[in-house]
Amino acid sequence: MTLRATRRNVLSTVLLLSGALGIAGLAALTVGGVHLSPSEVWLGLRDAGMPRVEAAIIVRDIRLPRIMLAMLVGAALATSGTALQALLRNPLADPYVLGISSGAALGAIVALWMGGRVAAASPAMAFAGALLTTAWVYLLGRRGGRLASYTLLLAGVITASFLSAVILFVLSRLSTRDVRGTAFWLMGDLSVVTGVQLRLLLPSIALALAGLYWLSKDLNVLLLGEEEAAHLGVNVERLQTVVYVLASMLTGLAVSVSGAIGYLGLLVPHLGRMVVGSDHRMLLPTAALGGAIVLVLSDTLARTVVAPAELPVGAVTAVAGAPVFIYLLRRARG
Amino acid sequence: MGYRIKVTYCGRLLLRLALLLIVGIRPLVGRTVTDETGRTVNVPDHPQRLISLAPSVTEIVYALGCGDRLVGDTEYCDYPPEAKRKPHVGAVLNPSLEQIVALKPDLVLGIAEANRRETAEQLDRLGIPLYGLTAHTMDDMLRSVHDLGGLLGREAEARALIERLQARTQAVAERVKSRPRPKVLFVVWYQPLVTAGPHTFISDVIRRAGGQSVTDDVREEWPRLSLEEALHRDPDIILFPRSESFAPSLEEFPKLPGWRDFRAAKNNRLYFIPDTIVRPCPRLVDALEEVARVLHPEPAATRPATGAQR
Repeated sequence: MTLRATRRNVLSTVLLLSGALGIAGLAALTVGGVHLSPSEVWLGLRDAGMPRVEAAIIVRDIRLPRIMLAMLVGAALATSGTALQALLRNPLADPYVLGISSGAALGAIVALWMGGRVAAASPAMAFAGALLTTAWVYLLGRRGGRLASYTLLLAGVITASFLSAVILFVLSRLSTRDVRGTAFWLMGDLSVVTGVQLRLLLPSIALALAGLYWLSKDLNVLLLGEEEAAHLGVNVERLQTVVYVLASMLTGLAVSVSGAIGYLGLLVPHLGRMVVGSDHRMLLPTAALGGAIVLVLSDTLARTVVAPAELPVGAVTAVAGAPVFIYLLRRARG
Repeated sequence: MGYRIKVTYCGRLLLRLALLLIVGIRPLVGRTVTDETGRTVNVPDHPQRLISLAPSVTEIVYALGCGDRLVGDTEYCDYPPEAKRKPHVGAVLNPSLEQIVALKPDLVLGIAEANRRETAEQLDRLGIPLYGLTAHTMDDMLRSVHDLGGLLGREAEARALIERLQARTQAVAERVKSRPRPKVLFVVWYQPLVTAGPHTFISDVIRRAGGQSVTDDVREEWPRLSLEEALHRDPDIILFPRSESFAPSLEEFPKLPGWRDFRAAKNNRLYFIPDTIVRPCPRLVDALEEVARVLHPEPAATRPATGAQR
């Protein structure tokens, strides 16, 4: 099915998905390790008094920030995946598969290793790591001036495993105290939220999303091929540079706060394409909102399955994501 | 009339003074202290609702007679047995913040060697006071008993407990004094081989029990040692913590490749130690006495002939 990307269609899709996201968010607010009835949740949400009652602390200070973080990270990863798939003209591209998440993770860990407990140090280093890895994989994947699809994927896979090895090396040199926290974060973890992170993430992710949406027509043209796009008046090199910086920024930001959460950047764009088609004016907002919904739901599972303990959300997305991906692959072939 | 007005005036003044006093004192309800990890914490004067984030901390709280004030602990808190029946807030590494809030603690107790720094940051954000302990040595553990005693208004109990523990430690010291120090390998985990570095309470216990850890020159806290390096260091005695997850029995160990080549294995000097040796709590002294018996079994009168934990 393909929806024509009229303004009306885009708007109604965004409205519909925003509604679904709102419902997912509300549902996530009502479940957790501690049982709260919907009316308690509602009271907790509205209670702004000091000192706060227990339900207000749980709903407003623990669940709400975490759900907002899940939304931002989910949107960032899914959008980044969509952009990379367009940029590399490869539906299997994704920040995780291409090693970009690992590059970002390595950047963040190196920031920790160098003793930086500065709030902005790890997002900045994660961004740098993502940027370098994307450039590296892109250069490796180019043969004779053309992007070779399989070479590119293999380059990404090899880079990812090489970077994982470096991460393990750095981990083994970290103090026991840092290793414990870092190991949890590496598995994909949304449990640590600070106001600083949300204030940093929200505008950056909004900016990157807007930038990519603005470029969506050019991305559509790029799907035809680099030469064809150039003939049609698109400045291909500039487009590629901008998209690659924005996608790396989204991945870096997401990874610096939540570790490596796999499959989201791969699957959500696929699902989006099945529903709205591959016009990026439709696909980008769909993927962003869809990614937010999927991660909110995954993290709700992670919070509740083994309550009062918690699972790393990366484990949930991987366990759920791999089978769905195999299904999609087989369906696409048949 | 004038008199009456004066009284009212005085009354108002008094009232105002009282109000000022109350308002002025309010921030002083509770105290600001520096915990063992160097963080500044605002703790209540008489904490009544405690949550412990580690088994060793739970044991200290019970040893001070404050078990009834504990409203929550972790899934791993299994001693004393009553601790198992307390509401749990999850595991040591990822306790549930929601569960902690729901139990309405006025003080949370954690330990830097087991809990995550991120947990402390999240509790700070929620305004829940967390007092952090540390334990690199046996003296650190005694200091934790002292500090918690002060925090919970149990100074006398803490002092008495510390004196008892010190007396037992002293007795061990007397017994092992001027004896040759056997070389000891402590096996935290065997696959891969993880041992205890010099700046851990485990190495401290071995030292006080009259032994010398073969990893005393390593910088890391929990170094991974290659088997060949361990063989090269040629320990006289190998110690294992007794725990459910430690599967092979002491009969099987000497048959494992590599392990059978240890001189200690050939001499039958492999021992299980009560796993309180991995808990910086008062029962650490039990482990100390056991290790001392294993390292220096000579005064046979104090030891049954069937031998240590083979």
